[in-house]
Amino acid sequence: MLKLKLNGVDVQAEEGWTLLETARFYGLPIPTLCHYEGLSPYGACRLCLVEIGTGPNAKLVSSCTYPAEEGLEVRTHTRRVSAARKMVVELLLATCPDSKTIQDLAASMEVQKTRFKVRHDDCILCGLCVRMCSEQMSGKAIGFVNRGETRKITTPFDIRSEECRLCGGCMYICPACQLRCQGPDAPGVVCGSCLNVSPVCLEEYEDALCYLDPCCQCLKEEVKKK
Amino acid sequence: MKTIEDLKNIIETKMRERSADKKPCITVCSGTGCHAYGCEKVVKAFSDEINKKSLNDKVNIRATGCHGFCERGPIVVIHPAGIFYQKVKIEDIPEIVSESIVNNRVIDRLLYIDPNTGEKIVHEKDVPFYKKQQRIIFENNGFIDPENINDYLAVGGYKAFIKVLSSSSPEEIISTVKQSGLRGRGGAGFPTAYKWEFCKKSKGDVKYLICNADEGDPGAYMDRSLLEGNPHAVLEGMLIGALAIGAKEGYIYVRNEYPLAVKNISLAIDQAKQFGLLGEDILGSGFNFDINIVKGAGAFVCGEETALIASVEGRFGEPRQRPPYPVQKGLWGKPTNINNVETWANIPLIIKNGADWFSRIGTETSKGTKIFSLVGKINNTGLVEVPMGIKLREIIEDIGGGIPKGKKFKAVQTGGPSGGCMPAKLLDLPVDYEKLTEVGSMMGSGGMVVMDEDTCMVDVAKYFLNFLKDESCGKCFTCREGIVRMLEIVTDITDGKGTMADIQLLEELARTVKDSTMCGLGQSAPNPVLSTLRYFRDEYEAHIKYKRCPAVVCKKIISSPCQHTCPINQEGCVYIALIARGEFAKAAEIILKDNPLPSICARVCHHPCESKCRAGESGDPISIRALKRFAMDYATAHGIRPKKGFQKTREEKVAIIGSGPSGLTCGFYLAQKGYEVTIYESAPVAGGMLALGIPEHRLPRKMLNADIEAIKSAGVTIKTNQALGKDFSLDELFKKGYQAVFIATGAYKSWKLGIPGEEGEGVLESMKFLIAVNLGKEAKIGKRVGIIGGGNAAVDSSRVSIRLPGCEKVSIIYRRTKTEMPAFKERGGKKEVEDALEEGIDIKLLTAPVKVIRENGKLVGIECIRMEMGEPDESGRRRPVPVPGSEFKIELDTLILAIGEQPDTSFLSEDCGVDISKSGTILVNPETLLTNKEGVFAGGDVVTGANTVVEAMAAGKVASESIDRYLKGESMARTYEVTKPSILVEALELTEEELASLERPDMPSLSIEERHKSFKEVELGLDEKMAMQEARRCLRCELEPEEID
Repeated sequence: MLKLKLNGVDVQAEEGWTLLETARFYGLPIPTLCHYEGLSPYGACRLCLVEIGTGPNAKLVSSCTYPAEEGLEVRTHTRRVSAARKMVVELLLATCPDSKTIQDLAASMEVQKTRFKVRHDDCILCGLCVRMCSEQMSGKAIGFVNRGETRKITTPFDIRSEECRLCGGCMYICPACQLRCQGPDAPGVVCGSCLNVSPVCLEEYEDALCYLDPCCQCLKEEVKKK
Repeated sequence: MKTIEDLKNIIETKMRERSADKKPCITVCSGTGCHAYGCEKVVKAFSDEINKKSLNDKVNIRATGCHGFCERGPIVVIHPAGIFYQKVKIEDIPEIVSESIVNNRVIDRLLYIDPNTGEKIVHEKDVPFYKKQQRIIFENNGFIDPENINDYLAVGGYKAFIKVLSSSSPEEIISTVKQSGLRGRGGAGFPTAYKWEFCKKSKGDVKYLICNADEGDPGAYMDRSLLEGNPHAVLEGMLIGALAIGAKEGYIYVRNEYPLAVKNISLAIDQAKQFGLLGEDILGSGFNFDINIVKGAGAFVCGEETALIASVEGRFGEPRQRPPYPVQKGLWGKPTNINNVETWANIPLIIKNGADWFSRIGTETSKGTKIFSLVGKINNTGLVEVPMGIKLREIIEDIGGGIPKGKKFKAVQTGGPSGGCMPAKLLDLPVDYEKLTEVGSMMGSGGMVVMDEDTCMVDVAKYFLNFLKDESCGKCFTCREGIVRMLEIVTDITDGKGTMADIQLLEELARTVKDSTMCGLGQSAPNPVLSTLRYFRDEYEAHIKYKRCPAVVCKKIISSPCQHTCPINQEGCVYIALIARGEFAKAAEIILKDNPLPSICARVCHHPCESKCRAGESGDPISIRALKRFAMDYATAHGIRPKKGFQKTREEKVAIIGSGPSGLTCGFYLAQKGYEVTIYESAPVAGGMLALGIPEHRLPRKMLNADIEAIKSAGVTIKTNQALGKDFSLDELFKKGYQAVFIATGAYKSWKLGIPGEEGEGVLESMKFLIAVNLGKEAKIGKRVGIIGGGNAAVDSSRVSIRLPGCEKVSIIYRRTKTEMPAFKERGGKKEVEDALEEGIDIKLLTAPVKVIRENGKLVGIECIRMEMGEPDESGRRRPVPVPGSEFKIELDTLILAIGEQPDTSFLSEDCGVDISKSGTILVNPETLLTNKEGVFAGGDVVTGANTVVEAMAAGKVASESIDRYLKGESMARTYEVTKPSILVEALELTEEELASLERPDMPSLSIEERHKSFKEVELGLDEKMAMQEARRCLRCELEPEEID
């Protein structure tokens, strides 16, 4: 067993666990998008960022790919983490404004609107479909081509693939194609009907004080009492 | 099979042979740069010539690796003397052979000339480009033929490898490298020995070495030059590393775009195999090591080690999560040690010369030397190897020879596309890993791009983002999408569509991308944005707030440089185009549209439009002022004048104090807007500095008065002999019913020198002198006149003095050099200064006055001291310093002080309520020109201090708009628009021959004889043919299609 510190608490992790697995084992909610249990970790969406190390050496890493290491200090809900996740969600929202999955993620982080120009690119290249196809369906019908701005997911030579059995696994798992929500607001604005207030304690403290899901349960309880 | 002893003997023999060979050796640089210049032909011509002259046994010839001074290729160095010939052509070769080889003489015309001293430099080591360099890695590049292993052996090659193979344990090798302090030259600067140690300690029998030669930074080519010029040094380094780490196989990952590097390194591997230096049981020691070459397909991201490994394995070049690090789990899952080309090349030197020798070079944390490829706006482009800790200034100014064409340095970018831009204030920064990171840049692999004043920093950020958006692997969402979005925002800004909120969003996004991306590419991709935001935020703000591109680059904001740089938005490009088509009347109308003083500007404007003219980049700028003059002369001759008499549509009255260019312009535009305007002028004539300061030979009174008359007939009343503070006060104006006042009283008070004897008879202030002459009063000057200063007032005073009766000799005394004289320039210093010289004015440069000499109170001369240009001050301008003991006397009857003017605002009473600065200028809101007093505006020289005519006019224009908004009760905030021509004129077709034959005409002038003692206008103006030809030369920037990425 590896010993490490998670949000200041001494915890243990099994050799081979990722930080995400460790955090989830201890009940800490970490948002993810390109991660799916049963598929290999990929580290593309950058939503599951956590902060490791201390002082000037502190840095953000994707918890779904970073292995648990002996003595590592991990913090899952710092101001820096929160700011980075919010920006990631804002970018996601600008690229794929109609996805219910992304809108819910945005709402849960109290991002109400994206400041970027809204583009209906829709595919966020999270690669879930590629991994689904190859790892669960043994299809390998689709994959990534090109790099940078022109990167995309397609079949070889952009023609119908002999390997594809039309199983629909790719569609099932896609966070962008399925579950469209074209609510009452303009694209890029989150209706917030599933509103979740982000940790208010961060305004005052470096770290979140608890990890209740949804957050602010504490406030809601208080409001109820009043 | 050779043994260690065999190879030792071979090396000793080769070294002996080489030192015994006293024949001269012609080395021809065959690096990439010189290849492009055609060095192959030079080498061939040399061998042909040597064959022809049967000198084969008297001289050696060698095609070597890169010498570094790529700017001057093809480079030929003749050893042992080290004679340095540059820009050698095929035609020069017979002469080099007959003169320099046979007769042992130096050919003067092929030598490098030091641009600072003008001296010809014979030897390579004395060339300033090489002087401050410390070439340890590159040392042998210039001596050996990279295609021949014997050459490498002859300079002691593979000795380091033999040394460790025969006598050192792996631990000893690692310990030596550790002591040397060597850090990775690929950019991140991780200590090399520690990486080796980790890799060595990693579990597993199979380990790999990789040499990272995926050099992808735009403008960087040092690794390429090493592989091309000295491939065996890299192989030797890898052999030593393999021995230390216990690797049996190595890879060199090199870009396929480097054919010469691939060829030379392949050749080197073959030769090393023949010598038993690679393969099984190397030199009978039982040690096995082989090297393979993998050619990369040119993805920038493959320089990242995990992406590189993926690429070697034949997978998508995509970085993966570290840990596990390659030293734990690398190529094919085995421990792998990756070092950069330059790191490997350092290893044999450290082993051969010892760790202490190496660690003596450099700083506390960064040891040894670093190779930079010095490119961009720099005189000496090339590869430079410098000790760590050298100052940026030494690299740029001493080695690089400064900025071409005397332009001003703006920034230097290190670390390639993901590095940062550093401004002039950081030039004294010592170059090492930590210092560069501290200021927001990085060492990177060694690209160093120098930028001058004509580089727009927002455009630079855009350029690098554009590069990176294609070169990001695209896996991490924040890197792929973040770069695209940063580019989107920056493009909006360069298009003039940005908002201030964009800067904040850009900064926030850049920080997130830096923080949240997996690999080094993404983490450093925002650096160009962050560093330009950090050091050049004002440029971003200028684009957003004022729709200005200070460097005049961003196409959608500037349209054409001439229009963008014109303070009053004159459409130079349009009227030039109309002149080229022969539509002179239309051209004049375009000028009149934005300029109420066109004939004046056509004669005395300092034409900032010409300073950024694109035609001036590769030749002479278009003579825009002369073309304006031509159009206005045509307009005068054909009676084309602006519309007379604007309709009075508004109730309010405005008073303007001062009838100079600022006041006249403001009056004109207010009249156009329908206000009743009265200008109060303290002098007996209208025109302000135009009438009082500028002499008649530059601006005939007829032309001046014609422009003033036009303004009067537009509906402006001018009252002369009416001085504020004497004849009326500000409050009285408001009482009289004026609702706004614009103060534009100019700057007339001359600065004093502050030297003994300057008070008293015989010493005149230039302004008072010029006013006296211009008003036709008697100006008493003697036979010999001295003038202190180098600006227009000084040159004007000199040319007026020489025209006055009785004056025989005029000397201008200026403390800096001619290029620094602020007087108007056209084409490298011609114009005012040249005109003065032609008229017989003597200009004493680098001379400063010390004291005025008087006898019985009468001025008899001035004592001066010689100056020399010293170290640059904070602004980067060299400051003149006196040469001790160089005092001398100039005999004079009159001394005129023309060292500058400042406003005299003593006419404003203290209780008038207008704030005045310490230097006497009126304080205003720079955007609206409103003073702190309600309804009182000010502009022109009285606000800025002595300035140019067209700047004063621009202030007048701005004031008229502000006053209009003020009187209408609108918001005072000024709105800004991007520059755009009002009409697009169709382009003319020019043939290549015509383009080549056209050149900027010299302004026809009065002959020297006609100018003698006469105030007739000196410039005669272009004739129709000259004007049309000159206008045809215009590049028509405003029609340039938008860039296609």
